[in-house]
Amino acid sequence: MYKYSDTDKKIIASRVKQFENQVNRRLEGKLTEEEFKPLRLMNGLYLQLHAYMLRVAIPYGELSSKQLRKLAFIADKYDRGYGHFTTRQNIQFNWPKLPDVPEILNELSLVEMHAIQTSGNCIRNISSDHLAGLTINEIEDPRPWCEIIRKWSTFHPEFSFLPRKFKIAVIGCDEDRAAMLVHDIGIRIIKRHCQVGFEIFVGGGQGRTPIIAKKIKNFLPKKDILNYLEAILTTYNQEGRRDNIYKARIKILVQELGIERFKSLVEENFSKLSNKELEIDKKSIEEIFQYFRLPPLKSSSDKIPLEDNQEYKNWIKQNVIPHKIKGFSIVQISLKEPKKPPGDATSNQMKALAKFSEDFSFSEIRVTHEQNLVLPHVPNKELFNLWSQLKKENLATPNLGLITDTICCPGMDYCALATARSIPISQKISNHFNNYCKQKEIGNLKIKISGCINACGHHHVGNIGILGLDRRGEEFYQITLGGSAKEDAAIGEIVGPSFSETDLIDAIEKILNTYKKHKKNKGEDFLSVFRRIGIKEFKKDLYDNFTEKS
Amino acid sequence: MVKKLQGEAFLLSANELRTGKVVFFTKKGWSSSTREAIKIKADEINKYEEISIREEKKCKIVSAKFVELDDAGNIKTLRDKIRNCGITIKI
Amino acid sequence: MIILQKNHEHKNHYKKIKEQDFLKKKISNGSILTISQWREVEHIIQAQEIDVAIEFSSDACILCENDKLSKVAMIQINFKTFKDGRPYTFAKMLRKKHNFTGELRATGHIIPDQYIFLIRCGFDSVEIEEEHKETWLELLEMDEGLYYQP
Repeated sequence: MYKYSDTDKKIIASRVKQFENQVNRRLEGKLTEEEFKPLRLMNGLYLQLHAYMLRVAIPYGELSSKQLRKLAFIADKYDRGYGHFTTRQNIQFNWPKLPDVPEILNELSLVEMHAIQTSGNCIRNISSDHLAGLTINEIEDPRPWCEIIRKWSTFHPEFSFLPRKFKIAVIGCDEDRAAMLVHDIGIRIIKRHCQVGFEIFVGGGQGRTPIIAKKIKNFLPKKDILNYLEAILTTYNQEGRRDNIYKARIKILVQELGIERFKSLVEENFSKLSNKELEIDKKSIEEIFQYFRLPPLKSSSDKIPLEDNQEYKNWIKQNVIPHKIKGFSIVQISLKEPKKPPGDATSNQMKALAKFSEDFSFSEIRVTHEQNLVLPHVPNKELFNLWSQLKKENLATPNLGLITDTICCPGMDYCALATARSIPISQKISNHFNNYCKQKEIGNLKIKISGCINACGHHHVGNIGILGLDRRGEEFYQITLGGSAKEDAAIGEIVGPSFSETDLIDAIEKILNTYKKHKKNKGEDFLSVFRRIGIKEFKKDLYDNFTEKS
Repeated sequence: MVKKLQGEAFLLSANELRTGKVVFFTKKGWSSSTREAIKIKADEINKYEEISIREEKKCKIVSAKFVELDDAGNIKTLRDKIRNCGITIKI
Repeated sequence: MIILQKNHEHKNHYKKIKEQDFLKKKISNGSILTISQWREVEHIIQAQEIDVAIEFSSDACILCENDKLSKVAMIQINFKTFKDGRPYTFAKMLRKKHNFTGELRATGHIIPDQYIFLIRCGFDSVEIEEEHKETWLELLEMDEGLYYQP
């Protein structure tokens, strides 16, 4: 894991001091709310429906046990005993008080964490593959590059007042587990003629105009990454629209100019403005890679313990995947326990997980963009032991990748922007499909739920996407089908008129029946069937005997 | 602050600057309960908007808004109900 | 209003040129012109020994390739709102692409928390209310000079 240098520590500490100064000026009335808002947002502090919300950065989703314990401590001392893991691998606290926030930031800085640039019109926390460094087919670990980009983007003097927020994701293999193609910039590490470099995508995003990112560079040498990012950001900062908040993201600029024209502007900036000092030399790359070496895992022929326990077997099948080192496994912890808001963890669960990570996984924890956690290096022989302990903490739900493993935004229960609630919908789904065998029969299926068009719940890229709307004061839910956030990224198509909360589960059942009817073999998953038969079949079955209430 | 308000009666609401807590404007100042909140008629909006600006300047509250009431005098929209009563889910 | 250059306070020597003066081509030391005015009179001023400035609005930071800035003593960018980040990139362009070496000044709606960003992007001075001076200096003082960018 990355360890802060003295410079990192000083920068973060001085930021805490600066924010304390800003909070005091706000409380004394020397800063207006209009002026304070972008400053607090740059420190991850929102004002939601009934409280402030603090979003803490978890760079590329990596946590140590010490950090997770600190998050639990903050949840207990300054909040209401829980936190919410987000689709950008961050954590949110829902009830902090403004005068406490500098103190919380100070606590975070003690474990090398912060809330910098988790909000606001700046470059946000860099996200990545939660299995970075763990799989065989990876070309190179993306985390060191995330760290290099994290540093470059932190308090960037030129790019702190962009037209709109800016999200970057980096992955290290063909498989995309980070929704890279729906980011403002997506970076994939590739190999060409024995040389490792980057493939760059730009202008992806969700919100009210969902767009899959377009390729802007086939191959970028490693040393140029920061200069190329700088060239893109220069173009965006200058040309991006500021007249309309809904058209201010880079995706709209790319769309309006066309990728070729946009690319030529970027290339011009790249050739004219590139700064030698931003080039990354081999030595500093090697230095940063040192931090991300695997812990000392001794490969072994240890097998996963066989126990005569169905729940354990289900969990192994669903949540545990092989590590690239023989004899170890990657354990995925579902935060989609039935009846609980997706992505929420209590402080007790956080403390327990911190302990488990120390006992079984070299003190390391990962956060996934699908709002789950990962213990990355668990010795096979400890799996039953770990499962038994996870179970006691309600952390052994065997549903990874299944229908109840929903992505879900906080919705109108918390969020000031939401038009409908989303957590109750995900709870309904998890109650209805609670049975493991039933879920297994449905197979891999991603349901993603957003409480408004801003799409924090990634509904556009859900195999089944659910969008909460307000229709004359009543909550209605629009369904999209066929979306994907993976390497085959696709924006879902709207299936038809929306459903009331009461009719929604029934509608999902009908959609699943269409899928089952057309499924050619046991292995054909929902998305494959959808791609084969198209939306029409689903529409036909869904609306035949159905009259929409309005 | 006033954005196409349509109803006939409102409460003036805001978040407390320090805590973020939802509060309502009463004769005695801000209260977390709607019980004594002043019912504002549509033609009094301007007057109360001035009050809210004054109160914001005092650094007591932030994000002031008018909460629409229905004919029976209850909070009308679901969002405002959730704002008043808290989250609808069990944690 | 005062001019702050790092931690030094200055008097403002520049003033926007009056329309009638410009029509008579009465351009004096310390005149602030718009970019189109500058283009019109550039050839006259090239020969004179006076300091003139050009003002841009943050939402119209546009220069042409052949705009000559070598005789411009000061460029002033007026922030319509402190949230407009274009001038930061414009400052970089002025310095790196147009080789502007004169004074670069930020005016309009700017806040003390942006002081370091402005300086680091190539601004030399800011125009601020005198009563806010202490806060600007305080935030300048708090900066320890540690940055992730070159």
